Amino acid sequence: MPEKKLQIALYWGAACGGCDVAVLDTNEFVIGVGFLVDIRLWPIAADGKYRDVEAMADGELDCTLFHGAIRNSENEHLAKLLRRKSKVLVALGSCAHLGGIPGLANQVTKQEILERVYLDNPSIEAGNRVVPLPSTRVDAGELEIPRFYRRVYRLDDVVPVDYYVPGCPPAPEQVKAALQALVNGTLPPARSVIGASNRTVCDDCRRRKEEKKVTRFHRPWEILQDPDRCLMEQGILCAGSATRSGCGVRCPDSGMPCRGCYGPAPNVIDQGAKFVSAVSSIVDSKDPREIERILGDIPDILGYAYRFGLPASLLQRSIR
Amino acid sequence: MEDRRIGVYVCNCGTNIAKVVDCDAVSDFAKKLPGVAVARSYKYMCSNPGQEMIIQDIRELSLDRVVVAACSPRMHEPTFRKALQTAGINPYFLEMANIREQCSWVHDDARAATDKALALAHAAVRRVVHHEPLEKRFVDMCPATLVLGGGIAGLTAALELSDAGQPVFLVEKDDHLGGNLARVDLTAPYLDSARDMLADRIRRVLESPKIEVLLRSTLQSLSGFVGNFRAEIRVGADGARTVDVGSVLVATGFREFDARRIEHYGYGRLPNVVTSFELERMLREGRILTRGGRVPKYFAMIHCVGSRNPEYHGYCSRVCCMTALKYGHEIKSALPGAYVYDLYIDMHAFGKGCEDFYRRTAEMKTMFLMYAKGTTPEIVPSGPDDDCEMLIKVHEVLSGEEIEVPADLVVLMVGMEAREDAADVAHLVSISQDKDGWFIESHPKLDPVATTTEGVFIAGTCQAPKGIPGSVAQAEAAAARILGKISRGKIEVDAVFAEVDETRCSGCRMCNELCPYAAIEYDAATKRSRVISAVCKACGCCVAACPSGAIQGRHFTDRQIFSQIEGVLEWASSQG
Amino acid sequence: MGFEPRIVGFLCNWCSYTGADLAGTARIHYAPNVRVIRVMCSARVDPTFVVKALAEGADGVLICGCHPGDCHYSEGNYKAMRRFPLLGRLLRDYGIEEDRVRLEWVSASEGKRFAEIVDDMTERVRRLGPSRVKTLLEADRVER
Repeated sequence: MPEKKLQIALYWGAACGGCDVAVLDTNEFVIGVGFLVDIRLWPIAADGKYRDVEAMADGELDCTLFHGAIRNSENEHLAKLLRRKSKVLVALGSCAHLGGIPGLANQVTKQEILERVYLDNPSIEAGNRVVPLPSTRVDAGELEIPRFYRRVYRLDDVVPVDYYVPGCPPAPEQVKAALQALVNGTLPPARSVIGASNRTVCDDCRRRKEEKKVTRFHRPWEILQDPDRCLMEQGILCAGSATRSGCGVRCPDSGMPCRGCYGPAPNVIDQGAKFVSAVSSIVDSKDPREIERILGDIPDILGYAYRFGLPASLLQRSIR
Repeated sequence: MEDRRIGVYVCNCGTNIAKVVDCDAVSDFAKKLPGVAVARSYKYMCSNPGQEMIIQDIRELSLDRVVVAACSPRMHEPTFRKALQTAGINPYFLEMANIREQCSWVHDDARAATDKALALAHAAVRRVVHHEPLEKRFVDMCPATLVLGGGIAGLTAALELSDAGQPVFLVEKDDHLGGNLARVDLTAPYLDSARDMLADRIRRVLESPKIEVLLRSTLQSLSGFVGNFRAEIRVGADGARTVDVGSVLVATGFREFDARRIEHYGYGRLPNVVTSFELERMLREGRILTRGGRVPKYFAMIHCVGSRNPEYHGYCSRVCCMTALKYGHEIKSALPGAYVYDLYIDMHAFGKGCEDFYRRTAEMKTMFLMYAKGTTPEIVPSGPDDDCEMLIKVHEVLSGEEIEVPADLVVLMVGMEAREDAADVAHLVSISQDKDGWFIESHPKLDPVATTTEGVFIAGTCQAPKGIPGSVAQAEAAAARILGKISRGKIEVDAVFAEVDETRCSGCRMCNELCPYAAIEYDAATKRSRVISAVCKACGCCVAACPSGAIQGRHFTDRQIFSQIEGVLEWASSQG
Repeated sequence: MGFEPRIVGFLCNWCSYTGADLAGTARIHYAPNVRVIRVMCSARVDPTFVVKALAEGADGVLICGCHPGDCHYSEGNYKAMRRFPLLGRLLRDYGIEEDRVRLEWVSASEGKRFAEIVDDMTERVRRLGPSRVKTLLEADRVER
């Protein structure tokens, strides 16, 4: 047992809370961790004020696990604050690592989002259609809310990150392994991805793989699948071949295609472009019109190819 | 990477590059780039002093990477690689920037061309930093050769190869050897008999223990690579042969232009309008008669039928002018009272002995009448008072007059065109065709019988229209090239191929079906894919497709190409 | 001076690059806006190259390969052909105009055709104006 307990924080940016659950899903392990560390900030589980963090000395925290993407000025402010206060900053989960599901908002403009959410949404009563402004004057004075950015960033875009733990959410055993390494002081060299291998999901997938030629793509519910055969060979768009492994093949094992949450393989700089390359390469036709037809079965290619990593792609966002 | 010592050499190519591109500006710019130890501009980099300069710099300045901004790498990459090797560094440490064919020769705005040259040089410097040392490999050379086509070119090459003791499989589509030449009587300009030329060669081919002649046969597929091809051949109606060969010579010849396509001349409709090949047959048979069985008195040769006319073929078929002159001699010798008219556009008499032949033919009173390019003489039936079958109305250019030429037999000098199966053959042996369908040689001047597929050669009229001497010379050249490879025993295979990093391969098998050469093996035990490097031809298809980023294309790695992309764009944007 | 598009060209070694060289040998002049990167086959063109070029500020990307049925590697150009539609849709979703990325077949003998394609593409991209990709990415950048 260390002399002094490790000081850690868990914080969320634009996130769903799934990564917090993944931490809790380490079950009795996290309780054990509780004996080894002081949790100084964890909004979902324990009370804590920003001013308490601001009062800390720089580097006072041994580690911050930051999950969630950067969507607004509050996310960025806290990312920078926690970076300053932490010796080690970990991007936990797809959103902090690659932008995640919130990053899909980079397909549309800030204006479109605000109009959709606050003006055009059918559940809003007439007369209540108000777009919130960063600051509002009320009788008691000036009220401020965080500024909503025109796009989503990953954590790495706003602060230097030491480690990345991929996944939406990360597999609990990988969270456990990362925490263990932190506690034991056995972290790999800085800027590594931890809790993932150098290969892709196919390496761990138990389904039988043969040579691939596809003449039709299907949504998972459209066919009766062979549970032992590679999904891609059955025309189900599975991102496993273009996705780093480490998740434990949770989706394909449950009959669902991999959706790519662990991000690209280490040598690949753009997961979606690589996926597009691989998928279209196995289309079995030489006729341009038939090729168009076969690939036409695939809906929303941008959303599919970069479901968890649009802000981490080379183009990062739609320029519309 | 930062401590590279790069030498940049900007070629002026006399004035070819320097008259448009500011070569000094390119070398001054390069001097300032990170990693560049020396940059020079010089009149002719490919000259001996130019290469010596590079070699000396490599040795004295300890250069470890070299960029040559000059002509197309298709031209001189081997030259400069050799210079690097001479200087003692890996030849693949070279990158070329093409500032001649793709810059100074196609742009006239000096500023824009210089900008482009700077961008290309920048990209080359950025790329060369990431070049890795590669070693060439050697594989055994199979000494047998597959010759496609039993015409004069194929026969000649087969004999050259077999005379040198090497085995040959001679594949001929027809049931006899000789090709188009077997349809010819005498040859221009010396009036030798084609039959005599062929008979001896065919006899020697048939008697040679080294040559296996496969008649009524066609190539079905060709797999493998230089030194190690496997050919599937269909023999007769249902026979099949599989042969292993080290080289392939394509000598499939030409077909004659279909004169029916020019309706104006009435070929197929007017009984006494014949093609040059039909006249050859009459000459060979010794019976020159009109369709009505009469001995013709007036002969008219119309030149350039299907040739030198953008509606049909823009090119000159090269042999028709002299063939037409030859008819003058043969007709006058068979029928001394006959009149011979040659209706021509230009008289192409460029071959050895041809100008003399032209003069001799004129002295024999062949009447030469010039018609204008782009026009066609008109053939009309003769009147009741005429003593000939037809009249040809032509605007004679030299006299400027409209004249009528009497004719009993009109001979259309049909040009050569690519065979109907040329595209199939090209596809089977992986060579290209030009816009007219002729097979493309590796270099039109310096490498005329090799193709872009190593180990596949071309000779004779399948490459372009030519006469017998040209076909024979090409056949002998190709045989010499093949014998050169055979004599070395081993052949060098390019060091550029794809390879799988087994620590990253996930066995997804996305790549397995993509390779056109079946060079990718899947090992079910280890669940990994592997590239058989000797079979790989480095197209890079699997590299682009590999979703794990586990396949790298040597010399065309992602890192190298990304650097080029950054290089061409960073430079441009900095100039904005 | 007006807007001069910056176009990155990926040309296959055997047909298109040779065709571009032929334009040079024949002195067929064309717009100086394309910067050529040689690849062995159009099938080597990973869609990543295209997005990389756009992210680095290219106003257009031109991919040229052998005509279908005429590939030096038998069918590499068909693989390029297969990848293009999905890449095109991806780019459209990114808001990148169709005319900015083009796949063309140019044989070794089509120097003139190469020149015409470059001229035509340069004009089309010129009409679209500069690509906003790099400008926006730079404007988005956050001080770390």
